[in-house]
Amino acid sequence: MSKEGTMRVKVQKFASAIQKNRYVNSVSNGLASVLPIILGGAIFTLIDTINIPAYQTFLENTGLKALTSIPPAITIDLLAIYAVFAIAYKTASQFKGDSFSAGVVALMSFLIVTPLGILDDGETMALSYEWLGATGLFVAIFVAVLVGRLSTLILSKGYYIKMPKGVPPTIEKSFAALTPAFAAIILMLIVRGLFELTPYGDVHEFIYTLVQAPLVNLSGNWWAYLIVVFAMSLLWFFGIHGTIVVMSVMMPIWVGLRLENLAAYQAGTELPHMIPGGSFFMVYTALGGTGATVGLAVLLLRAKSKRYKTLGKLAIVPGITGINEPIMFGVPLVLNMKLLLPLILAPLAVSIVAMIATFVGLVPPLRGIGVPLGTPIFISGFLEGGWRVAILQAVLLVVSLVVYYPFFKSLDKEAVRVEGEDENNGGDKKAV
Amino acid sequence: MTKRILLACAGGFSTSMLVEKMKEAAASQGEDVFIDACSEGKISENLPTDVILLGPQMGHIEGEVKQLVNNEVPVATIDMMDYGMMNGEKVLTVALDLIND
Repeated sequence: MSKEGTMRVKVQKFASAIQKNRYVNSVSNGLASVLPIILGGAIFTLIDTINIPAYQTFLENTGLKALTSIPPAITIDLLAIYAVFAIAYKTASQFKGDSFSAGVVALMSFLIVTPLGILDDGETMALSYEWLGATGLFVAIFVAVLVGRLSTLILSKGYYIKMPKGVPPTIEKSFAALTPAFAAIILMLIVRGLFELTPYGDVHEFIYTLVQAPLVNLSGNWWAYLIVVFAMSLLWFFGIHGTIVVMSVMMPIWVGLRLENLAAYQAGTELPHMIPGGSFFMVYTALGGTGATVGLAVLLLRAKSKRYKTLGKLAIVPGITGINEPIMFGVPLVLNMKLLLPLILAPLAVSIVAMIATFVGLVPPLRGIGVPLGTPIFISGFLEGGWRVAILQAVLLVVSLVVYYPFFKSLDKEAVRVEGEDENNGGDKKAV
Repeated sequence: MTKRILLACAGGFSTSMLVEKMKEAAASQGEDVFIDACSEGKISENLPTDVILLGPQMGHIEGEVKQLVNNEVPVATIDMMDYGMMNGEKVLTVALDLIND
């Protein structure tokens, strides 16, 4: 096995350990399953806030404004509610427990530790939105994983009331199902009671101040972002889907980051983050796929060798939508020392150019819509920040092209030479 | 009986491209197969199947997928070059060979 090959096995083990860690997996899969409704809300944020006076007047006059503002308020602003159920569900199914009831119990647990108040009228009970959106996400994650794991543990170890023989099994089962719920109520009441004794007042304030906000702000730094991008490229070099491995860890943080931008956008205030993780990655860094391979896809189309030209035709359309496996494995970029440098440099270069453009104000910070994978270039940019962002994407396409050009040129030359030799040695194309 | 082939990658995007190519190859060879693609997280929802093929970028989870199906179904990782060039014919042959073994 080649040196890269041996290295690859080691990196594979490492990647698998992260991505297939059952807790990491539950959190990222759980979050992934609530993203569609979050995106639904985000699209309505756009519909609700498009800044054209005539359009806004139309919305106001027809009374539609009252409707268009509803979806964001019950999706994005209630993210934690959905997430706590989904993550607990996924955690319990990872540990082969009763996933649905784990989800329900986790939702209840989350609400127990969330402050409940009385409105100014002195009688109406109310649950404030304060901790139910992105701000409550980390508590939702902790509660979901804890309850999901605990409830499966209680049932699999048999820590519940056993029924005498002759009692229908279903009765024992329904009583057994009570145990996790009861344990969760007591545990969460203890948590709530203890945090009321601290200056923080509740667990949300504590986790947000000490864990979530520092992590989210750290990940919003330019250097933290570039390290993440570098790690993804390096994993891809070893033929591992670096994006999904790194995302499984970064997703909770990146979701928090971009939703804070989205909330500010909805409210019409200044967007807090210049580099909103997930959005920045989809719109700028992963232009044409991880490795910012869009420029390479264009170069392939114009290749002199038959081999690369064929690949170019195959790769260009998926490439525009951010799918670049044909390029990764067809050129290949995987385990190809000749292209390691541009594979690492291109995404860093486009990210840095985009960061500079954002910092000096040539483009607005991205809104944090979170366009899904498969959204074509330019459309993704337009949705996330308007036409200026779409133009920046065009500029980045050229940046990617320039980075890949010298490296690809020599590869293509070599391929032309090999193809020429093959034709001279017999002339039968099928023998190639 | 129809042979069932399941391809899995990260999001099921690129494997779905290969599935189309494999279907074309199967049609021209007159093979009776059902071929589908999914994301790796949804494998268990797409069972039963006669063989599971992973995109090479997901090769690092081959062991976990084998565990998932209790080694009752052959699991393999698709060759990188075949994957990159979307060689449906070759991958179909590999899949059918795995089923027949």
